[in-house]
Amino acid sequence: MNMIAPVQARIDYRHLVQDGRLHGSLYTDPAIFSDEMERIFHGGWSFVAHDSEIPNSGDFVVRRVGTQTLLAVRRKDGEIGIYYNRCPHRGASLCQSASGNRSRITCPYHAWTFALDGRLIGLPDEDAYPADFSKADSGLSPVARQDSYGGFIFVNLVPNGISLVDHLGRATDLIDNLLALSPTGRIRLTAGWMKHKMRSNWKMIVENQVDGYHAHAVHGSLITANRVFATVRDRKPTSPTRVRDFGKGHTDIDHPSDYRAAGDKLFRWTGGIAPERLPNYVKAMNDAYGEAEATRLLIEGPPHSMLFPNLSLAEMNIMVIEPISPTESVQYTCPVFLDGADELNERTLRRCEGAMGPAGFLIADDAEIGEHTQQGVSNREPEWIILSRGLDKEIVQPDGVRLAGLMDETSQRGFWKHYREVMSVADGDAA
Amino acid sequence: MTASPVDCKSIDRATIEQFLFHEARLQDEHRYDEWEALWDDDALYWVPMREGADPTREVSYVYDNRARISSRVRQLKTGLRHAQAPQSKLRRTISNIEIAWGDNELMVEANFVLIESRRQALTIWGGRTSYVLVPVGDDIKLRRKTVVLVNCEHPIDNLAFLI
Repeated sequence: MNMIAPVQARIDYRHLVQDGRLHGSLYTDPAIFSDEMERIFHGGWSFVAHDSEIPNSGDFVVRRVGTQTLLAVRRKDGEIGIYYNRCPHRGASLCQSASGNRSRITCPYHAWTFALDGRLIGLPDEDAYPADFSKADSGLSPVARQDSYGGFIFVNLVPNGISLVDHLGRATDLIDNLLALSPTGRIRLTAGWMKHKMRSNWKMIVENQVDGYHAHAVHGSLITANRVFATVRDRKPTSPTRVRDFGKGHTDIDHPSDYRAAGDKLFRWTGGIAPERLPNYVKAMNDAYGEAEATRLLIEGPPHSMLFPNLSLAEMNIMVIEPISPTESVQYTCPVFLDGADELNERTLRRCEGAMGPAGFLIADDAEIGEHTQQGVSNREPEWIILSRGLDKEIVQPDGVRLAGLMDETSQRGFWKHYREVMSVADGDAA
Repeated sequence: MTASPVDCKSIDRATIEQFLFHEARLQDEHRYDEWEALWDDDALYWVPMREGADPTREVSYVYDNRARISSRVRQLKTGLRHAQAPQSKLRRTISNIEIAWGDNELMVEANFVLIESRRQALTIWGGRTSYVLVPVGDDIKLRRKTVVLVNCEHPIDNLAFLI
């Protein structure tokens, strides 16, 4: 009997991800999950934190990216340092709490102490180390690359490859659209993050974020019980809303196209707050952008989008998807506070609680269906998932953006096309 | 209905405990209408994400005023709420009950342990609940209920049932 194990063949992602169908193993295979951690989350750009979460010197948050735990800290010089949450001495994790403020970072194991810029500044009994011990070389390890856009901070754990702006591509427009709802162009993610255990593969959450097809089946109970939440727009196949594939895996459901078609009513995206109730906000917007542009912005509202791989600008919420295993994820949700819109912000908070998170009228049901889907897809037959809705009706604009109807699966296909590219590059090449 | 001037101090511990146990059982048994009827018109049902949170600035898992309590119950009663179809099997115990008798309100705190059975999985929920109760005629009404889960700062499972 030949006892030599065969060389593990590279998984053929061009076979598993096809234009109108996907192989079920993409949601269940631990080897695929492991590849994704390396190629997508460690080897590509992922969202890690927002600038507004750590405004003051010493503020920090601890975040997971792929399999790695990172510490994002506001340094004394105002810059943000992002380090692996690991003491360079014997490897203990440095910060146990999810957030906080420290003037310096002291390891709980042997009290090695680091400045906020990562330098090792103190260790007990330093003289006991040999002459070649270098304090200067024993600071915290920063991530290979970090960059930000509009306050959204992203990391990339490998040194080479495309820039953040190249990765974001046209998705910068989506971030711009969200920021433009603030008269100062700034948002604050300071309300805290709902943390929701999802018993499904992270990619199912990505797909669902930009799925215009499931609302009636999954959210029928809300549509029946609470029309205030549910009837803000047309969810029928006749809806003027389009799903869009911007390339590079970034997609959206273009609700603004529905709001425009629905007439000149402001604030449909808030659930229909009367503009008279937000006079200071409306005035600040008019002053900042001029009345015509402010009116356009307040009619169209925020984007409903999914930025590859883990950041969703989900209207007035930011959602972040954290993969845990092939069958488990955590979904984080934070309402968006607009700088200069105090009248709106507490309403945004209450609306977030109504819809989102483990007790929300919407997302609890998405979580439930995600779990059913995860369980279903673990059955081996049929092998393929059908993802061809609207495939023959897509329109490609001159700028390359691909459009289809609200209920078409163009947005999911947009994610998967980029996934296939990233997962198929040869080892060592950056995507 | 607002609270009539009943002297809270005339309400004894046994009566208050019976109210808490009754409310718990209505939740366990998904008796939504009867549970909703326990609430005062001035109501707040709150599940914060951390102890001591400021709900005007921080997001909560649940922050229901009277109207939203009704919405929650209405959605559950459709039978189409996937996260509670089928309903979780629930049983909770309430203990360590501490009562402060105010002039117009009763302030009650208690610990709870709740076992949820859903599709072959058992989930343990636990925490401390603060109640503000008010006498209305011969009844006691629930004005505030704040549930601080022991794991509120960590990722939690679906919380679509009444906690």
